[in-house]
Amino acid sequence: MEQTMQQRRDEILAKKAKLAELKYQRELRRQTAASRQSQGSPSDLAQPTPSRADKTRDLDMLLKGIVGERPGSTGPGSPAGGRSTRPTSVISAGQLSSDNEIPPYSSGGGMVDREMQTLSIAPLATVFEFDAEPKKEIITYSKGVQTSTEWSRSKSRGAGDSGSERDESPTRTSKANKRLSRRQKERDEEIRMSLRKEIEEEIKAAQQSSLDAGAGATGSKENFPFKTLTNEELNAVQSSDDFANFVERSTKVLERALDQQYDILADYALGGVDVDEEDEGYGSSGGKKGRRIKEIAQFWDERWSKKRMISDLGFSTKFPELVLASYTKNPSAPHDPDGLIQVWNLHMHDRPEYIFHAQSDVLTAKFSPFHPNLIIGGAYSGQVLLWDTRAKSAPVQKTPLTGSGHTHPVYSLDIVGTQNANNIISCSTDGVVCGWTVDMLSQPQEFLELTSPPPAKTEDMAPTCIAFPQSDPTYFLAGTEEGSIYPCHRYDRAGAKAGVDGRVKYAGHAAPVMSLDFHPARGQIDLGDLVLSASVDWSVKLWKVKPPAATGPSNPTAPGTSANVVEPLLSIPREDLVYDVRWSPVKPSVFALVDGSGSLEIWDVNVDVEVPVQKISPSDAKRGAFASMPSGLGYMNRSLNKLTWERNEGRRIAVGGMDGVVTVFEVGAELGGEVRGEEWSGVKRLVTRLETVGEVNGK
Amino acid sequence: MAQNAPEETLALLARISQKPGVQSTLVISRENGAIVRTSGLISNSSTANPNSTLPASLENAPDSYSNGRKESGIHSAEDVASIVWSFVGAAGILVDGLDKEDEVKLLRLRTKKNELVIIPDPKFILVAIHDTPPA
Repeated sequence: MEQTMQQRRDEILAKKAKLAELKYQRELRRQTAASRQSQGSPSDLAQPTPSRADKTRDLDMLLKGIVGERPGSTGPGSPAGGRSTRPTSVISAGQLSSDNEIPPYSSGGGMVDREMQTLSIAPLATVFEFDAEPKKEIITYSKGVQTSTEWSRSKSRGAGDSGSERDESPTRTSKANKRLSRRQKERDEEIRMSLRKEIEEEIKAAQQSSLDAGAGATGSKENFPFKTLTNEELNAVQSSDDFANFVERSTKVLERALDQQYDILADYALGGVDVDEEDEGYGSSGGKKGRRIKEIAQFWDERWSKKRMISDLGFSTKFPELVLASYTKNPSAPHDPDGLIQVWNLHMHDRPEYIFHAQSDVLTAKFSPFHPNLIIGGAYSGQVLLWDTRAKSAPVQKTPLTGSGHTHPVYSLDIVGTQNANNIISCSTDGVVCGWTVDMLSQPQEFLELTSPPPAKTEDMAPTCIAFPQSDPTYFLAGTEEGSIYPCHRYDRAGAKAGVDGRVKYAGHAAPVMSLDFHPARGQIDLGDLVLSASVDWSVKLWKVKPPAATGPSNPTAPGTSANVVEPLLSIPREDLVYDVRWSPVKPSVFALVDGSGSLEIWDVNVDVEVPVQKISPSDAKRGAFASMPSGLGYMNRSLNKLTWERNEGRRIAVGGMDGVVTVFEVGAELGGEVRGEEWSGVKRLVTRLETVGEVNGK
Repeated sequence: MAQNAPEETLALLARISQKPGVQSTLVISRENGAIVRTSGLISNSSTANPNSTLPASLENAPDSYSNGRKESGIHSAEDVASIVWSFVGAAGILVDGLDKEDEVKLLRLRTKKNELVIIPDPKFILVAIHDTPPA
């Protein structure tokens, strides 16, 4: 026992001694290392040798081994990074500071290392953990949200949604919340209940009214959720401008919708559809299919057209379905405006699209070809008037009733020029011709007085109509009451002064010239010098006018002597007064005329120069102003004053007259529409033939 | 355009209602569906004149009209007004869904028996019920 005890004691002692020796050696090594470093550092200041660095590293390792590595302080990857950086840092520390500062420094390096690690991981963890805590705070927010959902719930309840799902949501909230919102909830419940009740009632009422027609009268009363108007409200609404404008707009739309003839839902497989109209020869007119003429619309308004005569007609250039008619006064209605223009729409049969007024009879009117909204007119008072379809019924502009403009009735006017530079040229029966700009009607831009050239007994000239050629807006023809037609210049030019050119006179008519029309000349051959004139001497005449520039040289007679009288190329006698004649805007050989017997005649000079290809009278479908008058005046009431072609297609003609009814006809393909080349040359040949005949006759 | 006096404005509506084929017309307020004017529709409250204004008051007894309605197939103005009003609303939602900046201008609703032409305006709605052309 003792032996073993002794042995153990010895062993312990030996171990102690060993430990002490180890301690001593360690102490010694530390001292030597420190001294070695302090010695070595000055020798190589900036560049430590790798061996020395290794040694110091070893030392560090040792130190670490002694002090004991903090567990988990170094990760497997970090020493590698640390090793590369540490030597320099240690040496620089050595350069600057004393020996004993090294251990804390190195441990400081370890601290840095550790800190870097914590920085890289810990923040993530803490942020993650901290998030959970604010969650509790969010509950208060959710409380706020819940109140708002409760609002929306009561709202959506109105839409008839079942609230069962939402009823659960309050139970999820905390008890405190519950307690707080209990009162509110009770209130909500009340609202909800009442809403539910209302909805149920509504549904019940709706079902009742839809199912039970008999009881619907009472059911609809409850069902109808909208307020009803009292008499006062109703009157206020009905007299408001809003209502008037709405009715104006919407009834127009409605009438157009109702007047739409074609049924787009037509099923041709069902039932026998009538034989196509084009297959049957047209009753009264007969003839070939392509030359048929058909009445498509009549316009007359009980309120406004009554006892008025149509003084002019015109199609809109922009909207081919619109046709305007100007009217004279209604002698039996002194309180209505004397002058009237109605714009009719081919798609709205019973009512004008627009109504315009004037204080004096409107004698002529037309759409401005350069501005689709503007309508210009000439009045019996001598005023030139301008209406705008965007404005009210009164003219937006009018010329003053002073000496600077017209003081006599304006029976004829035209707009000449181009899109950007155009003028209104108006002509009154005292021979005054004025030029106006559309922007300013307060004063004429041009003022010209037409006087009869010398051979006439009096200087006075009474032009009834003027006409401009397509090509030249500075030159025009004026038809007069005595029957002659004179060329006129707007401006002074070589060989001729502004005004009537006395050297040429187109004589032929024995009575007032009612209408003049230049050939529209839109084709391959220029026929722009052909003019048609209509007169109350029961004839229509075709003229070939001399170009204005050539009148001087070609005229051998000296100025002041008798004029060079030009005979018509062709004179077509008719059976009645001819009030108006117009070339077709597309067909070079076709023209139309209206006469005192109420007939519209279509002529094609390529076909025949002695009889019209078509003759038709407006039907009596609309009761005109004279419809109820005794039949003794029968021929009077049918008289047609004016006609106009639709300019774009040349398929429609509008006519109107004494009875105030506007009638629109549509002509067949041979009288309007596509034009063939030979038609132009045909007219040209005819003109040459007529010219030679004329020359032969003259000589 | 003529600035029409109220009676002329109403005459325009009367004209529409007298056009051949037109069964009934109705003007309702866009805002709340209140009936402003009606013709050709039996109303709970209006008197015999079909073109008269319609102050729909609650105290009138509607019983006398029940039989007539059943036989002729004419609906009560309130029925038509509420149905059309909601129809216009639905159409508005449809158009809104397609294009936010668009707007309903005209509704033509063809049925087997007739056609409804509905013209919505910012403040009013005009409705006409008319016979379709025989096809």
